[in-house]
Amino acid sequence: MKTSKLRFHLTLLFILSSLILWTGCSSQKEDNSSEQISSDFNQKVQTYYEASPENFVFKSIEDLPQDLKWEDGNDLPDIGSPNAKKGGTYYEYIPDFPRTLRYVGTDANGSFRSEILDYNRVSLIHLHPNIPERFYPGLAKEWAIDWETHTIYLRLNPEATYSDGVPVRTDDFFFLFYLRQSPHIQAPYSNNVFKFGTYFTKITKYDDLTFSITIKSTKPDMLSFAALSPVPQHFYQGFGENFITDYQWQFEPTTGAYTIRPEDVEKGQSIIMRRNKNWWAKDLKFFRNRFNYDKLHYEVIRDPSKAFEAFLRGDLDAGRMTSPEQWYEKLPDNHPLVETGFIHKITFYNEIPRPTWGLRINSYQPLLNNRDIRIGINYACNFGLINKEFFRGDNERLRTVADGYGEFSHPTLKARPFDVEKALEYFAKAGFNERGADGILVNEQGQRLSFSLTTGYKRFEAAFTILVEEAAKAGLELKLDIMDHTTSFKLISEKKHQIHFVGMIVGLNMYPDYWQGYHSDNAINEDGTAKPNTNNFTITNDNEIDALIDRYRDSSDKEEIKQLSHLISEKLHDYAAFIPGWVAPFYRTAKWKWVHFPDDFNVRQSLRHREYRVDWFEGNEREETLRALKTGKTFEKTIQVYDQYKRN
Amino acid sequence: MRLNPLTQKKLKRFYTLKRGYYSFLIFAILLGFTVIGELLVNNRALIVSYNGKLYFPTYTAQKPGTLFGETYSYEANYRELKEKFKTEDQGNWILMPIVPYNPFENDFRENEKAARPPSLAQQHFLGTDTTGRDILARLFYGFRTAMIFALGFMAFVYFVGITIGCAMGYFGGVFDLFVQRLIEIWSNIPFLFIVIIIASIIRPNLGILLFITAIFSWTSITYYMRTGTYREKARDYVAAAQLMGASTPRILFQHILPNILSTLVTFMPFTIAAAITSLTALDFLGFGLPAPSPSWGELLRQGTGNLYAPWIVMSAFCAMVTILVLITFIGEAIREAFDPKKFTTYQ
Repeated sequence: MKTSKLRFHLTLLFILSSLILWTGCSSQKEDNSSEQISSDFNQKVQTYYEASPENFVFKSIEDLPQDLKWEDGNDLPDIGSPNAKKGGTYYEYIPDFPRTLRYVGTDANGSFRSEILDYNRVSLIHLHPNIPERFYPGLAKEWAIDWETHTIYLRLNPEATYSDGVPVRTDDFFFLFYLRQSPHIQAPYSNNVFKFGTYFTKITKYDDLTFSITIKSTKPDMLSFAALSPVPQHFYQGFGENFITDYQWQFEPTTGAYTIRPEDVEKGQSIIMRRNKNWWAKDLKFFRNRFNYDKLHYEVIRDPSKAFEAFLRGDLDAGRMTSPEQWYEKLPDNHPLVETGFIHKITFYNEIPRPTWGLRINSYQPLLNNRDIRIGINYACNFGLINKEFFRGDNERLRTVADGYGEFSHPTLKARPFDVEKALEYFAKAGFNERGADGILVNEQGQRLSFSLTTGYKRFEAAFTILVEEAAKAGLELKLDIMDHTTSFKLISEKKHQIHFVGMIVGLNMYPDYWQGYHSDNAINEDGTAKPNTNNFTITNDNEIDALIDRYRDSSDKEEIKQLSHLISEKLHDYAAFIPGWVAPFYRTAKWKWVHFPDDFNVRQSLRHREYRVDWFEGNEREETLRALKTGKTFEKTIQVYDQYKRN
Repeated sequence: MRLNPLTQKKLKRFYTLKRGYYSFLIFAILLGFTVIGELLVNNRALIVSYNGKLYFPTYTAQKPGTLFGETYSYEANYRELKEKFKTEDQGNWILMPIVPYNPFENDFRENEKAARPPSLAQQHFLGTDTTGRDILARLFYGFRTAMIFALGFMAFVYFVGITIGCAMGYFGGVFDLFVQRLIEIWSNIPFLFIVIIIASIIRPNLGILLFITAIFSWTSITYYMRTGTYREKARDYVAAAQLMGASTPRILFQHILPNILSTLVTFMPFTIAAAITSLTALDFLGFGLPAPSPSWGELLRQGTGNLYAPWIVMSAFCAMVTILVLITFIGEAIREAFDPKKFTTYQ
């Protein structure tokens, strides 16, 4: 999970829409408070800005171009239901206690990060989860794009404040770059994203509420680069080389609805997030029906089956039903609590770029650098049987390296099906003609067709054993090695794997990013060794693909990007180093009847039911329901499928 | 072989302790089964009679389906072939083992769940697990692994423990003092953490697990051996042997060891039980043998996580209890048979 989480956040960081970086607070620059707070640090920051005047630009409001066309996204529909009520404490479990409350640096990529960051903080602008490619305003009141100079102009909402009451100002976005470029945060990827020249080229201040961000080149989805969050300079007055330890348990003032107070953190046990009653955005169009609970209580329950029992007792309000066992065996449709309407079962089909669950073949390893062998392996992997037996037929086969991007995904391409004869045919082309005593193919040199299959997903163990057993039919031996997440991520980061299974969660990008995963920039060092710490886990290293990806990245024409995207998908299919696995086009939720959701349940791009915080309680329905449970009262049985976003 | 009359007496005594004796017999038979396991629990046929020719595929190289008139080149599915031969009725026949499944294959059936309760008709006598694998087959081969582990463990632990313990007792003095301190330090290293750390770095196999478990387990043996050797060393027969010029190893292993060994023999069954428990615990926690190795701990883990299929956890639990009870009975009987209070050598 760590792998996918990491990638999730990395992707969020750049190409796209939900670039959520840092909550923060305003630096108190020009107002008189700045003098009160240590000026040593502020001076240092100022000096840093002055050292790169071409990147940190200070202008006056008169310099702002006059002919800009400002937008504010207010024509977009609300998110959530107007019936939502405020109040109550929502109980949720976390499998581990977070290792830090920082948003960046060592260990900051844990799963709790989403709770305090992605699901909470307000950025400048946000991608609307129901309307593709449109943004709604967050901290920014309005924005304008100058396509010529690839610059986005932003005007902050003057009301916007951090949870400690300090207003959000332009300087906090300058400080975002300062902090993210600093080596002290020990996050090289983040450093690279915020380094001028990678994606951004300059940030320009016009006044305390107006600034602009300039991108390297024009992109159809340029606006997604403006989905930035400020960093409160006043909070980081002690920022320095000990950042990692100094800020380990400090909760940065946030622009979001929920905050964590030091007394609400019980290490190893629980964390409570409280709704800020005076939250600046509480009456704004896109936030007023969301963030409804007064408190979010996160209890550490290390064992998922224990958590499930806690849910059945009513100690937790709702749960994600990820595994088929939970959905079909532990909470079947005829379970007494479901039958009597106390617990509702919901299936929601969402529409998001699909996580790339699949096998990554290290095409830089001996034998695996032979395309025929890779294609043979493609045919030897029986994902169909996994989907049928392990996922009970609910999941679908992933088709390409980039599914779920609407028109940018290839319309017809499909993953190679399980086919023993075809696999044998391709293996034979590569010289593997004979079966050994154990049925595994050998070539003339006596080499066996045997590779290690590594992964960090213990929960899919049963699925992998199916893969291994079926591959043996095609004369391919896969030696399964299930490791813990950290070790497995280290293994693929160092490119020491042979065949690795991993699922990368991708951000809500408009179109796929092929460069990270498939460009030779990220595959090979100059000395010819595999390049570590990049996301090119297949070590795809092909001049033709490189050229296409380069054109794709440089293009600013949507139609051309679309065509190239399809073409690259095809080329990667031919290269055959990524074997598409499965995709779950939905998520499943079980909830107690006192948890209410909007009529259409959730937004199109939600990954899980709590992500957009659209749910709510009605009065003290919880107590009433639990009382009714004792008296034997029953309610209407509710098993619902929301398939308004289902494709096909 | 001529046994020492004392040993003969002990064995006779053991024979009269019926509970332990019968436990020993059952256990020995089970052990015997594991040696010929492939003939009892296997998806390969014992005998195939095809077109007038006999095949014995159990211990040979994999036979492709094409050999028996099938269209596929991977290993013949003998269960399906058996049905096919039956319906064709052309004189071909197949004899399958009692349990016609191997511990790795997923036996999925149309419109049925992977985890199915025990069924005579499907010849899944203890049912299938959550990926459709036969539980009896996994229990059986899990038992074999556990026994290999336990015997290897015992051999290692006793060899190292006896050697070091005897040396400490015999040489005494500074050597004894020094090694005892070393042992104290060594035995304070938290074994489980080491296993967890190692399991996260490398993929543990049976040998590695055995080694890690054993190097942290030999210390307790040294205590018994050391005191035993100290006691025996002071006796006249040792002095006599020394006077006659016997070498140190000869004195240790020929003279002293046989006299202190009886204590150790009584520990052996419990060492085996401890080894089985450790391996199962490690597998249960997920730090044991890599998937998809059949193991009891893995079955227990799967069973406790999927209580809707109670036959999984029940099978593993009952097997575990049975084996441990058998071993305990044997151990008690040995202890009683070797009790020096009954057969003391000194008047």
